[in-house]
Amino acid sequence: MKQNEQHLKPTFLDKTLQVLKATFNVMKPSLIAIGVGLLFGFIIMLIFNASGAFPGLIRLLTGGLGSGTKVLGDILLHAAPVILTGVALVVAFKTGLFNIGASGQMIVAGYAAVHIGVLWNIPGPLHWIVALLAGIIAGAIWGAIPGILKALTNTNEVVSSIMLNYIGTYLVVYLVKQNVYNASTAKSLNIQPSAELPGFGTLFGNSKVNIGIFIAIGVAILVHYIFKKTTFGYELKASGFNKDASRYAGMNAKRNIVLSMLISGAIVGLGGAILYLVNGTNLGTTYDLLPEGFDGISVALLGLTEPIGAIFAGTFLSYIKQGGFYMQVNGFPQQIIDIIIAVIVYTTSISVAIQLFFKHLKEKRLLKKETSLENLKGGSDK
Amino acid sequence: MTLIVQLTLVSVVPLLIVALGGLMSEKSGVTNIALEGLMLLGAFVGIWVIRELQNATNPLPMQLIYFIGIVVGGIVGGLFAMTHAVASIKFNADQIISATALNLFAPAFAIYTARSIQGAQQIRFAAAFRIEKVPLLGDIPLIGELFFQKTYLSFFLAIGILAFIWILLYKTKAGLRIRAVGENPQAADAQGINIYKVRYLSVMASGILAGIGGVIFVVTTSASFDATVAGMGFLAIAVLIFGNWHPGRILLSAIVFGFFRTVASAYSSVDFLKNLNLPREFYQMTPFVITLIVLAITSKNSRSPKALGEIYEMGKR
Amino acid sequence: MVKMVGITKKFGNLVANDAVDFEVKKGEVHALLGENGAGKSTLMSILFGLYEPDEGAIYINDELVHIKDPNDAAKYRIGMVHQHFKLVEIFSVLDNIILGSEDTKNTFIVYKDARKKVNDIMKQYNLEVDLDKKVSELTVGQQQKVEIIKMLYRDSDILIFDEPTAVLTPQEIKELIEIIKNFAKEGKAVILISHKLNEIKMSSDRCTILRRGKKIDTLDVKKVSTDKMAEFMVGRPLISSYEKEPYAPKETILKIEKLTVEGRNKAILKDVSLAVQSGEIVGIAGIDGNGQTEFANALSGLQPITSGSIILNGNDITRQSIRKRYETGLSHIPEDRHRYGLVLDFKLSDNLVLQNYYQQPFQKYGILNRKIIDSYSEELIEKYDVRTSSGIDTVTRSMSGGNQQKAILAREIERDHSLLLAFQPTRGLDVGAIEHIHKNLIKERDRGRGVLLISYELEEIFTLSDRILVMYEGQITGSFMTSEITPNELGLYMSGSKRSEQK
Repeated sequence: MKQNEQHLKPTFLDKTLQVLKATFNVMKPSLIAIGVGLLFGFIIMLIFNASGAFPGLIRLLTGGLGSGTKVLGDILLHAAPVILTGVALVVAFKTGLFNIGASGQMIVAGYAAVHIGVLWNIPGPLHWIVALLAGIIAGAIWGAIPGILKALTNTNEVVSSIMLNYIGTYLVVYLVKQNVYNASTAKSLNIQPSAELPGFGTLFGNSKVNIGIFIAIGVAILVHYIFKKTTFGYELKASGFNKDASRYAGMNAKRNIVLSMLISGAIVGLGGAILYLVNGTNLGTTYDLLPEGFDGISVALLGLTEPIGAIFAGTFLSYIKQGGFYMQVNGFPQQIIDIIIAVIVYTTSISVAIQLFFKHLKEKRLLKKETSLENLKGGSDK
Repeated sequence: MTLIVQLTLVSVVPLLIVALGGLMSEKSGVTNIALEGLMLLGAFVGIWVIRELQNATNPLPMQLIYFIGIVVGGIVGGLFAMTHAVASIKFNADQIISATALNLFAPAFAIYTARSIQGAQQIRFAAAFRIEKVPLLGDIPLIGELFFQKTYLSFFLAIGILAFIWILLYKTKAGLRIRAVGENPQAADAQGINIYKVRYLSVMASGILAGIGGVIFVVTTSASFDATVAGMGFLAIAVLIFGNWHPGRILLSAIVFGFFRTVASAYSSVDFLKNLNLPREFYQMTPFVITLIVLAITSKNSRSPKALGEIYEMGKR
Repeated sequence: MVKMVGITKKFGNLVANDAVDFEVKKGEVHALLGENGAGKSTLMSILFGLYEPDEGAIYINDELVHIKDPNDAAKYRIGMVHQHFKLVEIFSVLDNIILGSEDTKNTFIVYKDARKKVNDIMKQYNLEVDLDKKVSELTVGQQQKVEIIKMLYRDSDILIFDEPTAVLTPQEIKELIEIIKNFAKEGKAVILISHKLNEIKMSSDRCTILRRGKKIDTLDVKKVSTDKMAEFMVGRPLISSYEKEPYAPKETILKIEKLTVEGRNKAILKDVSLAVQSGEIVGIAGIDGNGQTEFANALSGLQPITSGSIILNGNDITRQSIRKRYETGLSHIPEDRHRYGLVLDFKLSDNLVLQNYYQQPFQKYGILNRKIIDSYSEELIEKYDVRTSSGIDTVTRSMSGGNQQKAILAREIERDHSLLLAFQPTRGLDVGAIEHIHKNLIKERDRGRGVLLISYELEEIFTLSDRILVMYEGQITGSFMTSEITPNELGLYMSGSKRSEQK
């Protein structure tokens, strides 16, 4: 009964097909969710503008292509912070936590970066590096607070994070008005050119895309390796999968909670800094929560709670948002994208149940087949 | 000072109603952080209906229009809450995620629909619902001034809702069962109670109240609906937690939070505060900061329903 | 009154009940006796509607009935007091009783009639409890009374008690037995699930003994001795023999002195003292629920203790962290392998370094050395015959229970340690896996390690142990050399009929 039999060496084609098939199976819940989201969005479009719905949908799906390199650049530009937020959420999820405070972390980090970008005079590349660091630290602090509260006082991290979202938003509005206010635009002043993240020249037309996308991908890969290869990642995963077993193993649960939220906040902070270290992207002075913070949830879920998945999910999100922007030409408000995203998130939340449901159906069918075979064989032999 | 009280009541009423909505859901064991989105959706449809009724050729009396708007908002909230209910109860979804989905959906849906139908996202209406003085009751010295002048229909509705919920939860069969399901669903199940039915109804109730709260919030604080409820739904969750999941304490909690919110918007008219020269954002922040501090202090002893957020497994021994 | 005929219930491959016949007459107290896994709880769960039998029939008052859920059971006037109470702690006693059958007038709950009925019940059966107190304010014994009143309020005639005395003080136990006897006098049928022979002797008329899912016999309690009951309960266990080195214990590895853990109602562990030396297997025998779980948790560090000391290899580990205990020389095969022993979603190789991933050579500068972890894992699964579908990269969840346990065994033995705590190491495993694990435990002993074995299987205790301790109601009530005692006599100790002086 030796399990580990010798296989014939599989061919390259076999292996590729195997990998593709495996990837497809793993991606199924995401693909289903996207499908459901798009379907729902399509139905809504039909209700309001039946004739324009189908071309609208096509425009939505293809809006990101064919209009030149600027569009491509913009997709990458907007993908970077969203990928990072997604990765940050993945870090929290893997530890069994929900970082719903990304909006607050992003805005305080954004402010920290802008503050340095506008007011500090640092030469050359050091300027944006310091600004990025400021964003990371700000995000880390804002993320650590709910973690510390949870570890020390058992305060629910979801509620405390929501509170900090609003506190952070109001705080930043005040700080912007105090320190970096541009009265004519009612937004923050432009950052100095030395603080802008380096771009790609004219490679993407006049898109403002910069190395932020590389940073985002780099961080995603780094996080992937931390989880895969380090003792720290090992501990975080253990406490996320099975808190009791991680205790049995001798791990320090409280410390891991705080560290996880801190790192999650730091990564969001990096995303926030990258978002605002772009010429022309200024901090507003409204009291609305930053929607990019919630995009992270969709990206993390769509990316199947994997950092590498977040790269693709974030790019996809940015892609269809671009499509949604162009879809306005067809007469559809771009909020349809947010509706679609909301439905995607909802679908992933019940995806486990959906999958179980299908599995149950399959098992029932198998059982029916088995028992009918048994009946053919002729009675049980008890 | 009278003004402060009157304004505070305006802030308190929606907070109270929505927090009571949260209470209904959580008492049965289902978390509901989608109150913000439900408020928004209720407000959206409710305000739209109000505007249409106001613009009709022979408009109905103002207060009746308001009442209809409130009812519509409640129905809308109740319906949308069922999406969260189905995901959480039938499909055992992560309750935070399904609620977040609803919160993401609400503003997008409101803006999209408004833009599609009327080209703009803002819904303006005539802010003509304030009752300057209630006949007779408004003449009572002091009390009349504080509670029966410059008030709204919704104030009285809120009192009624508070009384209703309080009595429902603690004096009726339904209330006993709701609380049992939220504390120990296994025990309730063993006594023959249908856990799922109780939870569905409770979550729907929370949606109805959130929808009502949304309409009231917009009507009593502005003259247009602009696809937001300014975080009131989340503040209501804080009111619920600070109120330790009990109607009486929720009322007190709502008053405290409502007061701070009022100070945030009206501080410039109070000389003492004006002279402190604190920024507007400071006052905006205060309710949230207080919540955070209170949570940190009380979470060790907080007494949420014992089975809150747990997925119910049949036959668990 | 109740007749269960030919009840068979299987859970996968495990036959929990095997064609069991069971009947209870009106006005009788009938005990259901058996060890862990004998099938008593399953049988009663079927009667109460929590499970449905695969085969067999149930007759109530000679009428064939079909019980699909507790509501059906209530219809037939069957009530059950579970081991773990189903009470809403923040409600008053009265509210708990009426929950589900409230009287209302104009939608308001009316308590008058309910209160009267409950008061009558309390008077009739001598079950006094303050109706308006919150359940959380009651003692455990009083809470149990509330559960009993709940049954009577629903006019139950067939009352099932599942190990009711586990959580009671001696005084409360006496009261309960009186109450139970009164029920019988009133003409009700009482079924008492228990493993405590002297309590059965005091309360029951007849006793049905189950062993390994089968019914052994039904006895008239008055006419039979506790010795005989114990003999029926444990049967004649097949004690396999393995080759062992001669018994030559050397230094003391583990010394526990007066370990006490206080619970809500009474001490869960009281003054437990024992020692384990190198080169011996000490077995703690006992029925589930007598403190073994808390003892293992206290020793491993998963649970704090009230007083006492634990000394491992000369080091006082009483207040040490779990990780430190491992480092001092403890290995632990936990009772619940899925909850504590493994992270099921991890690969097998990740689980095999669960406690020492942070040590060199498995990591350096915080980075896991996959190569070394993998080769270590390969070595382990080879040596301990752990079978998987994809080798060390298999997701642990997909492995069979036997192989999961072998993996835990491999990990715990191969780690640096002097004492191995093995709790129910062969639970749910097939014969082959059991033999494999037993042989390895003996190898441990022969190598000079100390093994503390906690098991609910008498055979296992006898087969492996050099010395046997009995844990009953949180205390060590007997200590013997294996050669000095018979299984039957051990059964008497395990069921509380006998106790010896603490050495």
